Amino acid sequence: MTLAMMPVDEKRAYPPRVSAFTETFWSGLAQGRWRTVCCRSCSRATFPPKPVCPHCWSTDMEWTDLKPRGTIYSWTRIHAAPTVFASEAPYACGIVDLEDGLRIACRIVADPDGSLRIGAAVEIVVLQYNDGPLFAARLLD
Amino acid sequence: MTRRVAIVGTSAIPVGRHQTADDAELQTLEHEIMGRLVVEAVADAGVEKRDIQSLVFTLPRPYTRQKYFHTFLMGQLRLACRGTVMEVMGNGMTAALAFDQACNDILLGRAEVALALGINMESAVSAAEHMMSSMRTTGDVDFHTSAGFTPIAWYAMDAMRYMHEHGATRAQLGSVAVKNRAHAALNPLAQFRKPITLDDVLSQRPIVEPLGLYDVPGRSDGAACLVLASEGVARSLGRPYVRVRGRGFCHDGSHQISDVPNDMIAFDAARQAAQTAYAAAGIGPADIDIAELYAPCTIVEILVSEAIGLVPRGQGARAAADGETRLGGRIPISTSGGLTSRGHPAYVTSLYNYVELADQLRGRAGERQVQGAELGLATGELGNYNAALIHVLEAQR
Repeated sequence: MTLAMMPVDEKRAYPPRVSAFTETFWSGLAQGRWRTVCCRSCSRATFPPKPVCPHCWSTDMEWTDLKPRGTIYSWTRIHAAPTVFASEAPYACGIVDLEDGLRIACRIVADPDGSLRIGAAVEIVVLQYNDGPLFAARLLD
Repeated sequence: MTRRVAIVGTSAIPVGRHQTADDAELQTLEHEIMGRLVVEAVADAGVEKRDIQSLVFTLPRPYTRQKYFHTFLMGQLRLACRGTVMEVMGNGMTAALAFDQACNDILLGRAEVALALGINMESAVSAAEHMMSSMRTTGDVDFHTSAGFTPIAWYAMDAMRYMHEHGATRAQLGSVAVKNRAHAALNPLAQFRKPITLDDVLSQRPIVEPLGLYDVPGRSDGAACLVLASEGVARSLGRPYVRVRGRGFCHDGSHQISDVPNDMIAFDAARQAAQTAYAAAGIGPADIDIAELYAPCTIVEILVSEAIGLVPRGQGARAAADGETRLGGRIPISTSGGLTSRGHPAYVTSLYNYVELADQLRGRAGERQVQGAELGLATGELGNYNAALIHVLEAQR
C-alpha cells in the first residue's frame, strides 16, 4: 500500500542528508513507501532507520514496511521559526505514536477545521517537494 | 575521612544584552569581563592565586572571536596550575558539568582550590539566525530538523501533554512566569526585573503554542565564576561557606525523544538523579528549603518540581498558582527569577543557579533571602530532561 502524495511547489527548507544506508528510506518515501529497519537478532524495529540496533547492538538489520496510521501523542504550532523556515510559520509539528508501536516526530500538515488535538488519528503522507520528499502526519478526522 | 567540596566564593555580571555587533566602534571583549570576575570571586573567597590548581570553563558560544578561550585567559592572568584546565560542553548541562568537574578535581585531590567559570555571549545574533545553529542540536538533524523542530518546540509539546493529562491551564503555567518575575525584581543580577501580571503573560504573542513570549526565555549574555575548595581549606578561611552534600546523575538513553513510547513528561532522568542525590545527602525532598532549577520554560519548572518530589505528580501547576513555590511559600523555587526572568545565557546558566544558592545559603540574598535556608538543590539538564545532574548544597555558617 502506498502513502498519499501531496505535491509542494517549493524546495525543502532544510533538506535531510541521505546516506548509503538511509537511501532505501528516502527513495522509498519518494515512491510512497513507508518503511524502517527491524533487527533480525531481537526483532525490534527502530525509527529513524539506523544500521545498529539500539536495543541489542546487532548490525543485522532488515527493511520492513510500516503501517501508515497513528495517533497524536502531543503537538505544537511553531511561530518563532529559524530563518529558513520563517516563510512557513506558523506550522504544526507533533509526536505521533504509530500503529506499529514506534513513536516518531514530524510535521503535521495544515488542519483548516482545527481538529488538531492529542489522541487524533493521523496517517503518514508524503510531502513531494521539488527537490525530494519529506514525511508528515495528516489528520484523518 | 571523606573529602568534601565547598563553594567559598562567587562573582557574576548581571544577565543582559552585553554582546556588541561586529561592526561596533568599541567592542565588548569576553576576556576583559572574565578576568575581572576571576579576581572578584577569588577576593570573595579569600584564597590566593597560587592556591588555584584547576579551572573548568564552559565552552564559549561560537560567536566569541577568541578561540581556545580558556587557555587564553590563563595567559591573561598568568595562572599556572597542576590539576586540570579544560573547557566542557554538555548541551544545556554545560555549566552544571563545569561545576561537577571542578568538584571532581578537588575530590580526587588534584586541587585544593578549583574554579568553575565561563562566559556566554550571543545576544547580538538574532534569534532566527541563532536557531539555524540551535535547531541542529535537538532531535535528529536529518529526520527532525528537516520538519522545522526548534529547541523550545519540545517543551511546548510537554506543555500540551501536561495540560491534556492533568487539566492544567495556561493561566496556571503563566503563574510561574509572574512568580519568577516578582523574584527577579529583587535580584540585581536579573535581566528582566519589571513586574508583570498574569494578564500580561496570557496576552503575549505565541512563540510555540501554548507558550507565549513570557513563558519562554529571552536571549541572554552572562558570565560567572565560582571558587570551590576542599572543606579543609573552606574551614580555614573562617567565613560562611556552602558544602556539596549530595550529587546525582542520570541519562535516560534517548536524545530528545524515544522511539519506544514512554511517559515523556515524567522526566524520569530527573527523578532518578534526585533520588541518588537525596540518598547521598541522607535527606528527602521535604528537607529542601530552596531550589534553583534549570527550567527554560514555565512548564519545565512545573514538571521538574514534580519529578524531584517537591510537589506531587500532576500538582505542580496548581501548587505554583497557589503560591507554594513563591518566596515565602512552602518550597521557594527560582528565587533568582529563574531562566525566564533572571535570564538564560545558556552555557553559563547553571553557574547563576549555584551563585543564587550560594548567596541564599551564606545569608547574602538580601530581599530574596529564604529565612534559615539550610539545604538547597540545583538541577542541570539536557535535551527534554533526557539527562539530569543534581547537587544538594548545605549551608555552613
